[in-house]
Amino acid sequence: MKEVKLFLGPQHPGMHGNYSAHMYVEGDIINKSYALPGMLHRGFEKLMERRHWMGNLALIPRICVIEPDPNEMVYAMSIEKLAAIEVPERAHWIRMIILELARLAANLMSIGGIGAPVGLYTSVYWGVADRDLILDIFEKITGARVYHMYIVPGGVRKDLPEGIEEEILDLLDYIEGRLPEFYDLVMRSPIFQTRTRDNILLPEEVVWELGVTGIGMRSAVNREYDIRKVKPYARYDQVEFSLPYGPYSDAFTRVDFKYIEMAQSISIIRQSIEKMPKDGPVRAKIATGSALRWQVPPGMVYSCVESARGEYGYLVVSDGGEMPYRIAVRGSSYPQGLMGVEKYLPGHRIDDASLWMDTMGVCAPEIDR
Amino acid sequence: MNSTNKLVEEIRQRFEIIDVIHPDDQQVILDIDKMHLHTLLSHLKADGFRQLSLLSAVDWIKDNIFELVYIVFNWDTGVHVLARVKLPRDNPRFRTITPIYPGAQYYERDVHEFFGIEFEGNPMSYKPLFLELWDEMPPMRKDFDPEAYSREKFPERVYVPHFVPKVEVIE
Repeated sequence: MKEVKLFLGPQHPGMHGNYSAHMYVEGDIINKSYALPGMLHRGFEKLMERRHWMGNLALIPRICVIEPDPNEMVYAMSIEKLAAIEVPERAHWIRMIILELARLAANLMSIGGIGAPVGLYTSVYWGVADRDLILDIFEKITGARVYHMYIVPGGVRKDLPEGIEEEILDLLDYIEGRLPEFYDLVMRSPIFQTRTRDNILLPEEVVWELGVTGIGMRSAVNREYDIRKVKPYARYDQVEFSLPYGPYSDAFTRVDFKYIEMAQSISIIRQSIEKMPKDGPVRAKIATGSALRWQVPPGMVYSCVESARGEYGYLVVSDGGEMPYRIAVRGSSYPQGLMGVEKYLPGHRIDDASLWMDTMGVCAPEIDR
Repeated sequence: MNSTNKLVEEIRQRFEIIDVIHPDDQQVILDIDKMHLHTLLSHLKADGFRQLSLLSAVDWIKDNIFELVYIVFNWDTGVHVLARVKLPRDNPRFRTITPIYPGAQYYERDVHEFFGIEFEGNPMSYKPLFLELWDEMPPMRKDFDPEAYSREKFPERVYVPHFVPKVEVIE
């Protein structure tokens, strides 16, 4: 049969953002493929070098659209390490609540979004509608729905509004009640099962070869490899949670793990609200003069957090000036989004390509930066 | 810091380390001569540092050097090692690490595109990745001025409306 060139994306409902895979297909089997990134390249790393340390706060959340808060967290963590700032206790717990709400929102969107490649559109609407309720909470806490700019060096921007704890707990009760319905709708659907069981395998050696992290890694290597467990930040060492892991990673397992992690996120938020000190400062004073002309002591540090897709890190270099000297971003889906597409997408069918992207957690904006 | 101290002691016995910095408890920066980087990385990989988290470069234009930073991670102990090597800024070349960490292939392409550092042995590193039809110096170098570039490349235009409706005021 004749080989045909085919572009999947950048304008395709099955692609994640403006990102394209150039494929050579024979029949409906992909023979060769490579990723074509760059359509979302906005030069963040260069822009960050030309802005003040505090001015960057408005820029960094935009690196990842679906889950912007890990960006703020790693940036704040790096600066706190360089400048040796002690974060107040209450701020640590508020940060954890924000990060877990963001993870919950990202996982809801992801579990809903898996419906699109398999042809199960109800779950898309359900996922996005429930995520919107979390965005309402974000709006009440931070004033913004998607890009919060809330976690700042030294703590968080302002204290939680009054009575928000009860609202969060009510919302968690609602989402917890919805989870079984999601399970019935998505996981037990015969369409979904046929498409994802024993399909799109991710063996352990591929995980090590590419450097895949997050759910893909945990489902393949049979270890609880999570930054929150291995290298706890904020106050993750003081809450109890267990993450799913297993030795066999197919598309179904990875979606199933996302589903289980949602329950864990809910549990972490509940524990945080319970253990959080009820009052106290939420932001340490970082500079004596104007925060805009603040100079961070020179040094180099790498800090990372666990995002919904894996290890998310910043390498921050300061030369003691008013602006960062260099910031390098490690997007968590960089390995599977570029090298994975080139080496391990071939052999699958065309209609599984978008399923491959979805369950591997490819996020175009953080690859392009 | 105990776990990293032991690690550094072990590495010091085998390799000539120029400098060691501890940015935090679970992180070590090792400055090493570029001759020994590949052996250091293979040693670290056999020692449990199985993941290459990031490979990036820093342009120290005042000292006229590029600094390559290799970040490897051990998932069992939670330790990050940042191995740094220095390259001359004019005609920067280095050998690839893809035989040790295959995942470095695209990071090297990335660094080649944004800093102009050539990686010998990585055939893919010459292909453009993010920047299509780029005709200037690599953009992450410190002497590249994005503002001047965009002013030259995209000159300011004055838009003249083709059609201006005449409005008559009826009294």
